[in-house]
Amino acid sequence: MADATHSAHHGHHITPQRTLFATGFALLVLMVLTIGAANYMPEPLKHNSVFMNLLAIGIALLKAYLVVSIFMGVKYASKLTKLFAIGGFVWFLTMFATMIDYISRPYEPVPGWEKGNSTALPRNEKAPE
Amino acid sequence: MAHAPAHVDPNADPVYFQYEDIDQQQETYIVGMWAFLVTEVMFFGALFLTYALYRWKYQGDFYHFHEQLSWKLGGINTTILLLSSLTAALAVHFAQKKKTKWQVGMLVLTILCAFGFLGVKTVEYGAKFEHHLFPNKSFVYGEAAHEAFEKEFGSHKPGTFTQIVEKLDGPEKHQEGNPARARLFFSMYFAMTGLHGVHVVVGIILFTALIYLIVRKAPTITDYIPTEMVCLYWHFVDLVWIFLYPLYYLIPK
Repeated sequence: MADATHSAHHGHHITPQRTLFATGFALLVLMVLTIGAANYMPEPLKHNSVFMNLLAIGIALLKAYLVVSIFMGVKYASKLTKLFAIGGFVWFLTMFATMIDYISRPYEPVPGWEKGNSTALPRNEKAPE
Repeated sequence: MAHAPAHVDPNADPVYFQYEDIDQQQETYIVGMWAFLVTEVMFFGALFLTYALYRWKYQGDFYHFHEQLSWKLGGINTTILLLSSLTAALAVHFAQKKKTKWQVGMLVLTILCAFGFLGVKTVEYGAKFEHHLFPNKSFVYGEAAHEAFEKEFGSHKPGTFTQIVEKLDGPEKHQEGNPARARLFFSMYFAMTGLHGVHVVVGIILFTALIYLIVRKAPTITDYIPTEMVCLYWHFVDLVWIFLYPLYYLIPK
């Protein structure tokens, strides 16, 4: 940073008002889209939960991208800032690897809210009837 | 700034002694704030993972439970939060241009939006409490709920908040699905939206403190960075809601 060749005079980026308003408008349009998709999707697709979930999450991700890149200014920020912003997202995705465990094994019973016999006994030990 | 080089513009934002120049100083603040936001992602991330797990496991039941939530009230709150994010971004814009009056105006608008959000949330939470859908000892769902209402009121009589919700969203939907899983759903609903609500309250406190410091011309405010910090936090609160809204209010069958 000692020899700041280009940044010494031009300073921070100021996002123009037009860009900010356009982003706000785009976010509202995307919100209307996601509500419309959830309520008025035509029949064959409406009951395809995989498609509907992917669509809802896809729109949410697009909205998140607009907020992070324009409103939070990551698009115009330094590489280090970008690294932190992307790092948070990557960590979040990595954590979802936990789902592999849940999907690939049966649940073990734990004492909980369920009525009836439930137990936290170790694997292969039978719960008392 | 005794050590500032002579050629530096006297009107430029002051650079604290530990930084090389204003760019490094501002980048340091912004990266620091992002480091904090990453910890917030971890905080909420675990809750989203929990939600994803049970949503995947009980998708059919979750569809029934989500009918108890009003997508219209949720939509109003989404609109409010998106607009507040716009006003927050504009506040930073005016702070960078040193238009203090506009900056403070935008911050005040953001606070008003935050209060609007909490107001709508109060109606939603109130209606849930009236329906005994808060997951404490009084929680009832499904057939048992109707018996409990009969006992309590003689007949089913909607409460104040329920009446407001019903005016907007029509009569309440029949409670279908497994009651034990409904308890799980509403536990997560209150945990996640509640934690988000706490963040909104913290946001109001931060914005109020920021406006106070700006108006009093406090020496700690030397450039746009304090406004940028608080607004980064606020955009994060908006981000969380962007995901909460489709996950809770718009569940497909």
